[in-house]
Amino acid sequence: MPREIITLQLGQCGNQIGMEFWKQLCAEHGISPEGILEEYATEGTDRKDVFFYQADDEHYIPRSVLLDLEPRVINAIMNSPYANLYNPENVYLSKHGGGAGNNWASGYCQAEKLYDDIFDIIDREADGSDSLEGFVVCHSIAGGTGSGMGSYILEKLNDRFPKKLIQTYSVFPNVDEISDVVVQPYNSLLTLKRLTQNADCVVVLDNTALNRIAADRLHIDTPTFAQVNQLVSTVMATSTTTLRYPGYMNNDLIGLIASLIPTPRLHFLMTGYTPLTTDSQVANVRKTTVLDVMRRLLQPKNMMVSTPVQRQGNNHCYISILNIIQGEVDPTQVHKSLQRIRERKLAQFIPWGPASIQVALSRKSPYVQTAHRVSGLMLANHTNISQLFDRILNQYDKLRNRKAFIEQFMKEAIFKDSLDEFDNSRESLQQLIDEYNAATKPDYLTWGSQQAAAL
Amino acid sequence: MSEFTIHHHVSELMTLLGHNMIIAKDFFHIIIRVRSSDPIGEEVYTEKLLKSRTPYVTTQVSSSHAKRNIAQATKTPIEFLAKYDELKEKNVRELDPLLCFLSKLSEEEETKEFLSKHGLDIAEKERMTLMPHSKITSQLPAPGTKMTEEELSEIKDILLKQANVVENPSSDFLVKVMREKTLTRNVNIPQQPEWLFKRSYLTMDFIPGEDSLPNSGIVALGKMSVFEQEQAVMEDILLCMRGLESRYIVSRPLPESYAPREFLFDQSLDPSVQELVKRILPVCSNYSAVVMFIEEKSSFEYGLVNHALSQAMETLIKDYLVMVAQLEQQMSLGQLTLQKMCFYLQPTIRILEILASVANSINRAIIYFNYFFYLFQGKCIGGAVLSLLHEKTASLIGDSKSSELCLYLTQTACVPYMEILEKWIYRGIIMDPYSEFLVEENATINKEKLQEDYNDAYWEKHYSVFQERIPVFLEQVADKILNTGKYLNVVRQCGRDVKCPFAEELVYTVKERRYYDQIERAYSYASQLLLTLLMEEKELLARLKSIKHYFLLDKGDFIVQFMDMTEVEMKQHIDDILPSRLESLLELALRTSTANVDPFKDDLRVDLLPFDLTSQLLQILAIDSKKEKGKYLIDPTDIRLSGLESFSFDYVVKWPTSLVLSRKALTRYQILFRHLFYCKHVERQLCNVWIGNKQTKMYALSSSRWYSAAFALRQRMLNFVQNFEYYMMFEVIEPNWHTFQQNMARVSNVDDVLAFHCDFLDSCLKDCMLTSTELLRIVHKLLVVCVTFSNYVQRVNQTTTVENEMERLRDSTLQSTMSNRERREDLQKKKTATKVMSEYVGQVLVDENFEQTIATFDNNFSRHLLELLDKIMDENKTTYEHKLFNIIYRLDFNGFYTEKLEAISAERALKDHSFVSDSSSHTNSSSGSMPTSFTTQRPDGARYVPGQYKGRKGSATGLDK
Repeated sequence: MPREIITLQLGQCGNQIGMEFWKQLCAEHGISPEGILEEYATEGTDRKDVFFYQADDEHYIPRSVLLDLEPRVINAIMNSPYANLYNPENVYLSKHGGGAGNNWASGYCQAEKLYDDIFDIIDREADGSDSLEGFVVCHSIAGGTGSGMGSYILEKLNDRFPKKLIQTYSVFPNVDEISDVVVQPYNSLLTLKRLTQNADCVVVLDNTALNRIAADRLHIDTPTFAQVNQLVSTVMATSTTTLRYPGYMNNDLIGLIASLIPTPRLHFLMTGYTPLTTDSQVANVRKTTVLDVMRRLLQPKNMMVSTPVQRQGNNHCYISILNIIQGEVDPTQVHKSLQRIRERKLAQFIPWGPASIQVALSRKSPYVQTAHRVSGLMLANHTNISQLFDRILNQYDKLRNRKAFIEQFMKEAIFKDSLDEFDNSRESLQQLIDEYNAATKPDYLTWGSQQAAAL
Repeated sequence: MSEFTIHHHVSELMTLLGHNMIIAKDFFHIIIRVRSSDPIGEEVYTEKLLKSRTPYVTTQVSSSHAKRNIAQATKTPIEFLAKYDELKEKNVRELDPLLCFLSKLSEEEETKEFLSKHGLDIAEKERMTLMPHSKITSQLPAPGTKMTEEELSEIKDILLKQANVVENPSSDFLVKVMREKTLTRNVNIPQQPEWLFKRSYLTMDFIPGEDSLPNSGIVALGKMSVFEQEQAVMEDILLCMRGLESRYIVSRPLPESYAPREFLFDQSLDPSVQELVKRILPVCSNYSAVVMFIEEKSSFEYGLVNHALSQAMETLIKDYLVMVAQLEQQMSLGQLTLQKMCFYLQPTIRILEILASVANSINRAIIYFNYFFYLFQGKCIGGAVLSLLHEKTASLIGDSKSSELCLYLTQTACVPYMEILEKWIYRGIIMDPYSEFLVEENATINKEKLQEDYNDAYWEKHYSVFQERIPVFLEQVADKILNTGKYLNVVRQCGRDVKCPFAEELVYTVKERRYYDQIERAYSYASQLLLTLLMEEKELLARLKSIKHYFLLDKGDFIVQFMDMTEVEMKQHIDDILPSRLESLLELALRTSTANVDPFKDDLRVDLLPFDLTSQLLQILAIDSKKEKGKYLIDPTDIRLSGLESFSFDYVVKWPTSLVLSRKALTRYQILFRHLFYCKHVERQLCNVWIGNKQTKMYALSSSRWYSAAFALRQRMLNFVQNFEYYMMFEVIEPNWHTFQQNMARVSNVDDVLAFHCDFLDSCLKDCMLTSTELLRIVHKLLVVCVTFSNYVQRVNQTTTVENEMERLRDSTLQSTMSNRERREDLQKKKTATKVMSEYVGQVLVDENFEQTIATFDNNFSRHLLELLDKIMDENKTTYEHKLFNIIYRLDFNGFYTEKLEAISAERALKDHSFVSDSSSHTNSSSGSMPTSFTTQRPDGARYVPGQYKGRKGSATGLDK
């Protein structure tokens, strides 16, 4: 009776990173691509049942639902060695297979039509678990399926499972390169509203930063999807490591995220990981101590979000930090590192409440060899994330003012009558940005009533 | 140093005071009081001793110095010195340390005062006038005369009688104990047959009470010629040498037992012959003494050592008798003259002299042993005999012949003792029918109690060393001997026979080296054996690891799972919980979590204790510090314990492991567990509040404002609880466990294992603030505030969500039949519903004075938290205990509380200040203005940096600015 977590992979991007995530989990738990436990892994003290369940024939099957409106990525998965890992009943492809055409509204409306089919699968998975803790949704916010269908599913999940946690790994579009998806700002804005109102915890994976990290830190000139996705899967796997390798603390998802998110709306988390390596590059071993790792995690260049977290200058600050440190760690080092960081004022915290760097120590998978003694993942709630939203809002306003591409959306049912949904979403996002800005000030706790009074 | 050993030392001192009784009459009255004293005296003594414990290294110099000291202090120095010399002669053990103690005592006014005051107290209390000590003194024999056992016992009787007169309960007890003691000592000693005493002619000694032969027919010696005289006397002497009465040489009856026998002979004997006779007569007298010794000590009650010694003497006496027979033959052949006889007897004289002196010193040695601080006089048996022999042998080292003889005696006497010792150190068995061996088993303390009784001291008390039974030459290794056997015994108790591979025969030698080596080898073998048994066969470390999984919450997923499953049970009252149900849920949780791979998981049990953790701890702490006694006695009827409060794990421990995991250790684990478990529970509750709150993000801003204060408070509580847990787990338990494991890796015997384990638990308890009543109470209050807060918020949530649910229910019934179009409408409806809801929530919150209640919670929480932080800082200042200080870094990482803390310390400084300067008017106002809520904006003030927190003085100056 573990606290199970069901993973939903939506759209092209969601299925790709989901795929990488499961690859990583299989490797860490010693599960073969066919779902059979490797011989060397039979004696493990890890918890596989949070993310997997066992079929009648002892196969391990991921608690995962794969959804897409077009067959390309899912077919690729089904032709990969991991094809037999998934429960075929959990793979859902839209029948007409035309995709959402990168249109949020199309994805949303198609999902609406497919409601019964989709939720049959989800309900079945939920019923199959004893004490479901929540859902993890993997998607991107820029495309059509991940954003549109994702939005719809988020809303419905919240309705159907009001007490369950919904965590998303949301891929934000790359702003450095010109996207082929012209309506990207529309899609992002509309999805962000759902992420704000219907998700409990959003782990922001910024493609801009991921590409930058791949280029700068890993010295890959033109990072492939696979390489970037490997970064993502590392983050995803590490952030769930305390659930899978239980220790003293943080053995359930709620314990992990409750302290990170003090007020319900401010739930967009940044991540940082160190030391970063890819398959191609294992050399370059550095000395890693706890202090090293924790210090490097606070460096902006290791953050997987493209809004620079400046140490000084602006008022932006950390609301909370959770470091998950893996490897052989002497617990006394943790305290020393914390003290050092505090003395050096390496991290600026909110003025309106107590905040600290929480450090969860976790074991490493014994089956995956790494060159580093200690590695760390940081999950941080930083007010600076509002800049990311600000950028999206600006892009949206530019498009919206020109009324560009709007007719694509008008075709769909949700925008048939009016464009209110756009305005609502914009207002919601603006409020979120305001709230993040307010959180940098000491009087944040009375901000809500001030706003209300102003209205 | 354990309390036990201190008590042991005190009792030792009391024993010494017993000697004192004989030596210095000036202390006589003290002893009476101490002996009839109640436990308070002893306690005070223990305290005193703890304070000024200095090992007495007694050298000749120090003892002579002490002698002088006492002589100066007493009123009757001459008597004292005479007594001292006499005792010295008698070889009373521990005379020198006693002397040092007495001299110290005479210097220390305080102790003397205490002793006399204490005595007076008792006297007053019992309306007892002490018998003036002159009266007792008068009954003591004049100094210089030898004190006999009868006299001593007489004095004792007087004392006892006196104690009985006042009906002192303790003296009743004493009498009872004495009786018991005699009983227990006689239990395994068979009775001597009656005829042995009736038939007086069985002795080889002179027959007492028999008058000399009728004088008829005896011609006075003087009337004979010198030759005839010589012949007659020779004949008589030969008789006397065998303990027979003769005509001319008559033995005098003994004035007291063990006095040297004296002889009378006809004074008309020729002076030259007389001289020769006088030279030979000591042989007869020594013969008598030795034979008497042999006969007396051969009876059962004198023990194996005395038996062996008697046997050794008997072989010598047999040789002696052969020689006497040879002399007689010579005489009958007419070849013997007195001169010749004297010459032949030369070596024998020396031998008998030594034998007699050994016999004498054993007869006279007074051995005291103590029992519950009461002195008993005993026969010199067992180890004490060996000590005397050893000393004798050592003192004769220059005289090779005699020392050889003595060595022979000692070695023979040692044989049975060494056999017992061998059995003990090679096999772990005690075969000691006469209670001679230095280790004694206390059968009333059995190993089963280890699992049950908190106070059981099986390991310390089951076998104990009796100081007075240790032969001096084994004194240094006594502890090793005790432990060796103890270890082997444990192995034996596990049902296997032990055979030490180094089991060589132990032989006494003057130099200790050889058998010390043997004992050392046996010791290392035994400790290794037991250690391997525990560590490898019984997998002690794995077991401890398993206990750590459950009691120290190392396996978090198991705990989460268990808490999930038992949520309903835990809320109920303790009487309504079915332990069997909890058991089965535990079983399920164990099987389905990672704990499943633990091979020892089946030993885990649930336990419902009839008290909650705080009251239990406060009670335990109250025992430790007497002054707070009675303060925390909680009426057991007025608390209604929930399952959560009374819940604890228990662990089934089997025999050899229960040495380490005794009830005492398990209780400590339980305390830690309950503390951690409760913290986890609080964390869970707060997380539930979080889940309950998560819907509010859909509401409009206007309604969420009511919540923001609650959010902030919840966040602060969660921050506190989680950081507190982090601190306990990662900064206390884990590092301590780390050190413990390191220690265990290089441990060499089981006593070390016990000590390290105990250290581990103690430091965990201490650093988790479970040993300080003040901190504990604050932490408890904090946790309670958190729980009540979360209960309150969850209740409010419920009232609002019930409405919500009903709405939803109505919707969903319709939904099934709805078309797409209708569903859209439904969506619209829901949107309005949400809006209505949020307004409604706002309404509810206003109605219920939500804001105000939250503010009260906030005040309470903040006050307690600041109190806690302040206390820790305070504690840190006084004890320089840095571990505890770490929690401040955690709880106040971003300096959120520092300002308030500074305010507190400033206030206190102000208070101190105002106390110093006459007025006390400030105190009232300042105590009322404790900083409280954090929801209001913080005032701009001087920033406080924790590193600068140096103490009241620093903050006081800060205030002056």
